[in-house]
Amino acid sequence: MSRPGFVLEVDRSTPPILFHHGEGFRLEKLPAGSRVVYPAEPVAPLKDPDAAIRHALLNPVGDSQPLPSLLHSGMKLTIAMDNQAVPLPPMQRPDNRQRVIEIVLDMAAAAGVDDVELIVAHGLHRRMTEPELRHILGDRIYDSFAPHGLLTQHDAEDHDNLVLVGRTEQGEHVELNKRAVTSDLLIYVNVNLVAMDGGHKSTMTGISSYRSLKHHHNVTGMQHSRSFMDPPNSELHNSTWRMGRLLAGAVKIFQIETTLNTDTFPSQFSFLQKREWEWSARDRAAFLATSKSLDRVPPRMARSIFHGMKSPQRMTSVQAGEVEAVHQLTLANLHRQHLVPVEGQADVLTMGLPYLGPYNVNSILNPLLVMCLGLGYFFNLYRGKPLVRKGGVVILSHPTRWEFHPVHHPSYIDFFEQVLAETTDPLEIEKKFEEDFATDPWYIHLYRNSYAYHGVHAFYMWYWGAHALQHVGQVIIVGGEPRAVRRLGFKPASTLRDALEMAEDVVGRNPSITHIHNPPIFLADVT
Amino acid sequence: MRALQFRRSVPKYAAAMVAGGVMPGFGARVGPLRLADVEEPDLPGPDWQRIRPRLAGICGSDLSTIDGKSSRYFEPIVSFPFVPGHEIVADRDGGRVVVEPVLNCIPRGIDPPCSFCATGLTGSCQNIALGSLEPGLQTGYCADTGGGWSTAMVAHESQLHPVPDDMSDEAAVMVEPAACAVHAACRPDVDQPSTVVVLGAGTVGLCTIAAVRTHLRPGTLIASAKHPEQRKLALDLGADVVVEPGEVRRAVRRMSRSPMVGDGVGEGAEVVFDCVGTADSVDDALAIVRPREQVVLVGMPGRISVDLTGLWHKEIRLVGAYAYGREKTGERTFELAFELVAQADLGRLVSATYSLDRYRDAIDHAAHAGSRGAVKVVFDLRGERNR
Amino acid sequence: MRVPVRARFPLGKPNWPSSVPRPALERRTGVDYDTDWARKPAARVARAVIVDDVLRPALHLIASPTVHGEDRLVGLEAPAIFVANHHSHLDTSVLLTSLPEPFRHKAVVAAAADYFFTTRAKGAMSALAIGAIPMERTKVGRRSADMAAELLDDGWNLIMFPEGGRSPDGWGRAFRGGAAYLSLRCGRPVVPLYIEGTGRLWRRGKKWPKVAKRGEGVHLVFGSPVWPEEGEDARRLAARVENTVAALADEWSTDWWSARRRAATGTTPGLTGPSGGAWRRAWALDADASSRSGRRAWP
Repeated sequence: MSRPGFVLEVDRSTPPILFHHGEGFRLEKLPAGSRVVYPAEPVAPLKDPDAAIRHALLNPVGDSQPLPSLLHSGMKLTIAMDNQAVPLPPMQRPDNRQRVIEIVLDMAAAAGVDDVELIVAHGLHRRMTEPELRHILGDRIYDSFAPHGLLTQHDAEDHDNLVLVGRTEQGEHVELNKRAVTSDLLIYVNVNLVAMDGGHKSTMTGISSYRSLKHHHNVTGMQHSRSFMDPPNSELHNSTWRMGRLLAGAVKIFQIETTLNTDTFPSQFSFLQKREWEWSARDRAAFLATSKSLDRVPPRMARSIFHGMKSPQRMTSVQAGEVEAVHQLTLANLHRQHLVPVEGQADVLTMGLPYLGPYNVNSILNPLLVMCLGLGYFFNLYRGKPLVRKGGVVILSHPTRWEFHPVHHPSYIDFFEQVLAETTDPLEIEKKFEEDFATDPWYIHLYRNSYAYHGVHAFYMWYWGAHALQHVGQVIIVGGEPRAVRRLGFKPASTLRDALEMAEDVVGRNPSITHIHNPPIFLADVT
Repeated sequence: MRALQFRRSVPKYAAAMVAGGVMPGFGARVGPLRLADVEEPDLPGPDWQRIRPRLAGICGSDLSTIDGKSSRYFEPIVSFPFVPGHEIVADRDGGRVVVEPVLNCIPRGIDPPCSFCATGLTGSCQNIALGSLEPGLQTGYCADTGGGWSTAMVAHESQLHPVPDDMSDEAAVMVEPAACAVHAACRPDVDQPSTVVVLGAGTVGLCTIAAVRTHLRPGTLIASAKHPEQRKLALDLGADVVVEPGEVRRAVRRMSRSPMVGDGVGEGAEVVFDCVGTADSVDDALAIVRPREQVVLVGMPGRISVDLTGLWHKEIRLVGAYAYGREKTGERTFELAFELVAQADLGRLVSATYSLDRYRDAIDHAAHAGSRGAVKVVFDLRGERNR
Repeated sequence: MRVPVRARFPLGKPNWPSSVPRPALERRTGVDYDTDWARKPAARVARAVIVDDVLRPALHLIASPTVHGEDRLVGLEAPAIFVANHHSHLDTSVLLTSLPEPFRHKAVVAAAADYFFTTRAKGAMSALAIGAIPMERTKVGRRSADMAAELLDDGWNLIMFPEGGRSPDGWGRAFRGGAAYLSLRCGRPVVPLYIEGTGRLWRRGKKWPKVAKRGEGVHLVFGSPVWPEEGEDARRLAARVENTVAALADEWSTDWWSARRRAATGTTPGLTGPSGGAWRRAWALDADASSRSGRRAWP
């Protein structure tokens, strides 16, 4: 039985608390009276995931029929799946998607379906490389489909292969991948890492176009998504749900969603998911050895060590059928692992940012992604109200090097250098620069033919933090490169103590402090 | 009279080269520049007048001379000992004047004048070592005329432009650099280009930004600036986008919405003004200019090593821009410069003034102007004794 | 071996009087070879060293094996019965060195009693090096079946080649029921495997193996564990396992999706090749091989 997450009240005998710090760690002594939110321990995984998948496909939820009865020979079947952005870190083989799709294809083979195409629903993300595809789908599926061109990656700029399904009552364009929309059955296979993922958002972001995404990926929408990790209170989800319902009326969708437990780090890093006072001699030795050696190796090398790490997380649930019914179950299963009750807001919220976010798998967590991970994802890991009060201070810990992956993030460089130099106000940025970046032919070329994120994707990073920017009074980055931190519009501090003193200027003396001990991921249920 | 004098001394020159190589501006401590009491220069001819400098700027070319870095190209066209200083506002009987320092056929008494001087293109005159004066391309490099960094000097009637009463000395001392910028902005043969880049945001760069905004009227003006004060001024003087020097290629690519080709921009800016004059800046300029279009060298480059393959392949025109004279519209460059200084308030670029006694500090400040938040450093001679 | 000059009694062994009947000789070779000692800790350590540090590098040099489908074993608990098609003496080593943990270091190999255990020295070598246990070829006898079942119950993984010997001609032979019988008896799954290419390197009848050229390496495809279904008998289970191995072969030579579709329609090509004259079998084998690797199986 795994222990649930809880809130620790720091007293004088509390050991220093672990902060993730990019490709490294810091141990920080928090002032007495601070609170630390710990995630739940990994819940027990499914004993036989394959049997569970089969069971889910044969017993779908909502008004859907069992999968085998939806399959027949001569039909056009499309299977879309999440890309490398989930799970984090990439899981050890076999990935949930491989398990599910193999069983789906087994059923399709039994039904004699010949016309099958697989689509990576990466939206405006970069295309996946062959090793990445092999990792999430397995060699069997890759070798069966890729050589025949039947494993494709969604292309949001291939206008010949997009089709406008219609417009919602609010006037939102629903423009999606033509193959998916014109299929007799569209099966979507996801890995629901956090509560933001899944449901109608899967198709509405994964296989849609910029024109369509614009309706929910914008500043106003994100400022009214409180938080975007809580679909009922999220404008992002309201919009995608409206659009998704329109799609569900146009094409038969069979959604298969899976959840994972939070067994995030392999055994050599197991101390990362233990509570500090429970570290054994072995954990302490591992921590010392790891952090000392990471301090000594060049960042490049530390990065490749971390990105080579595959996580041992295991499947905890799988559900299939009609999108909304499925997603409701998924959220319940996710909450079983993620929810941690927290009482009240704090003046100061501290967090240690790890080396990895959804957009830098096998890449660099550049300053823009630091902002997005801290103020976008971590800040929004709440339900109810934010962990920090309005006008409070958020303190992030991350090296924040002025460093970008030139292949993956070309538009990010320009955004950082040219847009942020002028303004950091999301609304102004959206108004003045978005269109220009989104339609830049060079970015489009790199997105379609190289491995670059779309030109407009850098903006979404900033929008993801728009709610936090509006809510907090100041953002401080501990241990960041000052030049880069200032460009983000934040304040650099060299130690946590300095940062806390700077925070006092904003929130007053003796502030209340909450630290989120994340990852492993949790969702704070703030009352 | 008191003057800073630059004398011919091989060992000191060598010492300045070494010192200036270690630390810009250091040449002033060990080199051939010294503060001395010297004889006032004689009037070389009837049309000459004695003037008393009020403010005299320190220019980038002065600094490279002091640090022993200037090109050997100048050897035959200067004469020693000379008093530096060619950005001058001075008193003469009956009011203040700005000096147009080029020593062309007219001051030199060459009659008939060369074809350039005859049409007013005085900056292109090549008789700068001939005639009634010692060699010297400008006042401030000639042994016979004296220069701005002193309490007295001589100037030819044709070199003097009266300063309007409502113009401050600080504004007036900026007229000469502004004239260089106006001339540069008028060099390229394009009208209302869509994208123009100005590399560098020192005095020359900032003046060029103002001149380009007024005379070339581009759709988008991108400037590169290293320091925050420069950045602010650049935006204020009419740049639309200001980026750091390392970011300029990407900025131009984005503004011109063209692809990258290797490290270069596929279809870049119509005109690039290089106001830095180093190998890196020329490299950048060649990388970001549009094929068949032009790069204008405003900053004095000296001997640098640049790969010209791109110039050959993209059929780029590399254009120099030196000094002033008369522009295509027929107006004298200095007249346009007076207008520009007044209209863009270029007087604010004067960041610090020094007395002659503190010349080492002044030169040190000028050599590090950007990083110390300054633009133009000038000598203030209004308070000198023996004036 | 006989010592030419025998020492006389009492230095030497006494003769047995002819009038006294001799007791039955305790057989200690073949099926009766006792391999218990080879599963004691010391022998296991020695075997781990032999498998990981001798066999594995040697095999990589000779056969450069590639493993596919290992992920199908994720989550499977030991013990299990691993069965594969059998072309060559290399098969055992390929399999043994490619098994993932926790299977590799707790595995025994069912080896033909009439081949590997003919002498005590040969038996000892086999038992130590590969953890061999003696097994009858034709049908599982009482004694060897009991021993295998006991080992399975003890948590030992069992490796078997249910064709009952190496292929004489490059094609497979029908699977015998031993593995299926043990699976049913002990309630453990059968993991089917398909081994490709070992026959090319070391055919039956050749004295020494060839060294694999580039791109000519051996492939090992793991299949999903097959669990006995309710009411299934050994023959049906054996047939199902054989079909799975055939599907793996199909998967290897084409791709997984095509193989699944053929399996669903029951058109998976068999392992045993066409019936008919020997030349037709050889001809078909060659066609098959050249379509895969572009190399002729014939010399």
